[in-house]
Amino acid sequence: MDFVSYAIEGNDFKAAGAASRAIKEHLKRIGADADAIRRTMIAAYEAEMNVVIHADRGRLEASLSDRAVNVNVIDEGPGIPDIRRAMKEGFSTATSEARALGFGAGMGLPNIQRNSDRLRVSSRVGEGTRISFTVMLKPAATADEQLISLYASAERCIDCHRCLSACPTGAMRVLNGQPSVLEHLCIDCTCCIAACAPHALTLEDDVDALEHVERPSEAVLALPPGLLAGFGEHAGVARVLDELGHLGFASLAGVRPYEEALRAAALEHVGGVGAMHPVISPVCPAVMQLVELRFPSLLPHVAPFESPWEALQADADGQRLACVVSCPSQRSALLAAAGLGGAEVVDLPTPGLVRRAVLPALAVGRDQAASGTEDSGEPRADGVLHVSGVTHVLAVLEQIENGLLTSVPVVEPYICDGGCFGSPLLEEDPAVALYHSAHAGAGADGAGRAVPRRRPRTARPGIRLDADMAAAIQKLSQLDELTRSLPGKDCGACGAPTCAALAEDIVMGRAERSLCPYVEQPEVATS
Amino acid sequence: MKLADIIQTLSLEELTPQLADAADTEVTQGYASDLLSDVLAHAPSGGLLVTLQVHLNVIAVASHADLCGVIFASHRRPEDEVIAKAAEEGVALFVSGDDTFDVVGRLYQLGVKGTAA
Repeated sequence: MDFVSYAIEGNDFKAAGAASRAIKEHLKRIGADADAIRRTMIAAYEAEMNVVIHADRGRLEASLSDRAVNVNVIDEGPGIPDIRRAMKEGFSTATSEARALGFGAGMGLPNIQRNSDRLRVSSRVGEGTRISFTVMLKPAATADEQLISLYASAERCIDCHRCLSACPTGAMRVLNGQPSVLEHLCIDCTCCIAACAPHALTLEDDVDALEHVERPSEAVLALPPGLLAGFGEHAGVARVLDELGHLGFASLAGVRPYEEALRAAALEHVGGVGAMHPVISPVCPAVMQLVELRFPSLLPHVAPFESPWEALQADADGQRLACVVSCPSQRSALLAAAGLGGAEVVDLPTPGLVRRAVLPALAVGRDQAASGTEDSGEPRADGVLHVSGVTHVLAVLEQIENGLLTSVPVVEPYICDGGCFGSPLLEEDPAVALYHSAHAGAGADGAGRAVPRRRPRTARPGIRLDADMAAAIQKLSQLDELTRSLPGKDCGACGAPTCAALAEDIVMGRAERSLCPYVEQPEVATS
Repeated sequence: MKLADIIQTLSLEELTPQLADAADTEVTQGYASDLLSDVLAHAPSGGLLVTLQVHLNVIAVASHADLCGVIFASHRRPEDEVIAKAAEEGVALFVSGDDTFDVVGRLYQLGVKGTAA
């Protein structure tokens, strides 16, 4: 992942194009296909011109991966009162100066839409506009292309390198305050997010405020139980739901029934034909990615069902869903489910946006405790080994792989410490939220069901050094030699988490040996 | 049709002679418009643009839309700063004394087509 960050001045027609040109250089360097480069350039240039023509100032930021380029253009300007009208070809509010130069013909936003694969526009009149678009660099997603929902911001990074050791798959890199993710290794978990104090690493956001979700009155707002129960003592789940009811969504839906249905289905699968024991419940998409990446031999243990969020999406056929996911892996799973039928996921607002929307209302009258206190009365099924937190999940998967855990019928692993309640994006401590949730009854939840898996789970080639076996072997021996020549301190100063990771980066052409502060230093004279 | 042949047949004045390789470029498609957003939206990649606009943004648009060159019609002539930028971006610039309609007509006769053909 690379970053381009450019300030754009309003009315500076001559400088327009600089930011998009910088993106082009990056795209060329990573070998993006010519069509994608051209489409990105056109969309980025139009977005830049939008700022130049309409706003006082703005900023273009681009993040780049080997699969997609994401561009955000945020401006301080008059805003767009009616986005749908602005999206129509021919609609324009440009000045005559812009028109004289051949712009402002009302083709900007339609042009961006035509050339991007995903476009989001949000705007506040009198404050500014934000345009976010994505161009896929390869046409279609295949098994070895991984969609990642982790967002790394160079602006917020304080170069502390804590994420390097937090990442369970060694996917993080930090170089000169520029955090980046090796997407072929990333499993979309929350370990780096939890370790990142300045919030430079977070969930990729698609919308900047809850009220900017497209046509909320026609959309269902789907929520995780950990969020509903995460507003403290005075605001029980019932009150939170009440406030969420005022946000203008058609209705609310909960993920919990789907979690419970999956648990029951996994237990039932234990006795099924061909089930490998223990059965691993696919409750956490990040753990599924970890299995696909590091433990492909365990794939037959995975119960053949969708994760709760994917099941909810599959089940809400024909509806428009705004899904407040609690982690990147849930977002990626939902995006990857597009085109498989079920509901259309129109937006993925972050938990923070929901908090921002309802907290002010909840702060009023905090003395009147409104939460229901009746017990949920639903006993947990027996025979389920709940394991959460990446260290424990790794240890349990290791045990299963080694055949040491055969007496357990069902394993329910969560990558976040405390399960989904423990996602760092939810802010409330998982133990506290879990307590409130358990005492709040069913809340928003209707009925759920387990949905059979719609696409097969397959092993990821993430750690393969080369598609060609002979070349891979050659690289492996280089890697070995190189690793031995490095100091073995795993200090992280080079920006890679371990000496072995740096060696691999060098062999794969991602890094230079000179990044290591210990090599090629003059020898210390002995006296 | 090579750009060199087009230059000769249409008696174009070359503004960027430093782009020596440009003359060898094979040109099969073109576009004519003074609306730069329209150029961005519809001009064919690798094509030749005929326009009356002579300001700096034309170069940015040509470069972003991956065009091989720009013909300024009706004796329109950009400032030196624009020419320098074009040379830097690898966009060949030409001036024609004919108006847009005639330039396009003559290009068409040479086999340079629009996006529909």
